Amino acid sequence: MSTVKHAVIAAAGMGTRLGLGAPKCLMELGGIPLIAHLLGNLEKVEDVRVITGFLENEVMETISKIRKDVIFVRNPAYRSTTTLTSYMMGAAHLHSPCLFMDADIYFNPSGFADFINACEKSDEPLLAITRTKTRDAVYVDLDEARRIISFSRDHVTGMEWANLAFLSPGDLQDGPGAVFEQLATRLPIAALEIDSYEIDCPEDVELAMTAYQRINRDY
Amino acid sequence: MTTCYVFDLDGTLTKQELLPLVATTLDLEEEIRVLTRLTISGQIPFRESFRLRFAILKAAPVDLVQKAIANVDLDNTILDFIRARTERCFVITGNLDAWIEPILPRLGCKVFTSTSLREGTHVKDLQYIMHKADKVQALRSKFKRIVAVGDGNNDIPMFEQADIGIAYGGIHPAATGLMQISDYVINESNSLCRLLNTL
Repeated sequence: MSTVKHAVIAAAGMGTRLGLGAPKCLMELGGIPLIAHLLGNLEKVEDVRVITGFLENEVMETISKIRKDVIFVRNPAYRSTTTLTSYMMGAAHLHSPCLFMDADIYFNPSGFADFINACEKSDEPLLAITRTKTRDAVYVDLDEARRIISFSRDHVTGMEWANLAFLSPGDLQDGPGAVFEQLATRLPIAALEIDSYEIDCPEDVELAMTAYQRINRDY
Repeated sequence: MTTCYVFDLDGTLTKQELLPLVATTLDLEEEIRVLTRLTISGQIPFRESFRLRFAILKAAPVDLVQKAIANVDLDNTILDFIRARTERCFVITGNLDAWIEPILPRLGCKVFTSTSLREGTHVKDLQYIMHKADKVQALRSKFKRIVAVGDGNNDIPMFEQADIGIAYGGIHPAATGLMQISDYVINESNSLCRLLNTL
């Protein structure tokens, strides 16, 4: 049993498909920026590193008001690099396992807490999956032990990769391609189902909003 | 001994800017305020700004300037980091040796400053105006990797020569120009030292 010490959040992207003209992590759900919801899930994690790029000053300013001790890692080449590069930059010089996640996701807080608890029970890699709901889903196939055995963009399944992972920095190597393509070379990897809402297009905003209202009514 | 750490002084290691403290003591607040505004907005380069600062302050006895800043609050978290590796930490400040003399022993490591010629109770002339890149270059022969921490536009040359630049906004956001050439931006000393410890 060990505590999760590091969290790396990729927040450098432009969110072109949403057409906001602002970073997606600053989009509000219930009057609260997406990134604030996310940081709320990470209150117990000591070391939070956010990779910034597009409109970095706005992102830094918003985050600093919520949590002053965040370490911002600048990715000035955000237009020509992928999330994988941002993750590598965020975890540079770290040696113990980190939580890696995208900033444009609304997570059901109880599921996120379960994920952290599961990470603390083992230092093995763990990937979050969620019920398929996004248009650009990366679908996963699971074996009987609920481990991911394949990723696919075409082979539709009921579960998709949730862009939340617990990995050792050494599990990722910089290069072309997406994070899941690199993870695909290391399968099988244990998976845990969570309730999350990635926001890429206007339909996703609707889904996240509905989920947010449902979750906060339940509490 | 492969990595060294270089720190700016004003606003990075000190929890208050030194110049306004001096200005208040000497009743030169308006003059210094105008100069500071022009410097921060990048309208006059550090060198010229420092010459003007010297022209304004040289009429004051050195001990009066020293007294104004002698008890300035320092960031103890960063000082602890420095004290744990004094041989590999350096302070590089544009401030003048004579004015900041009382603070130097509190910093716990070697300090590079602008230098002056003194005559009795006053500073007579400027001898050397700090160009931070020079000092970083000089450290190159001894250290393989140089990590720089600063908050202002006059730290830009220091960042350009360093391997890793950390824009630090401990008491106010770091200068925009500095942020744009930095690798990391941090606003709190615990997380700054957490990062420094992992580099």
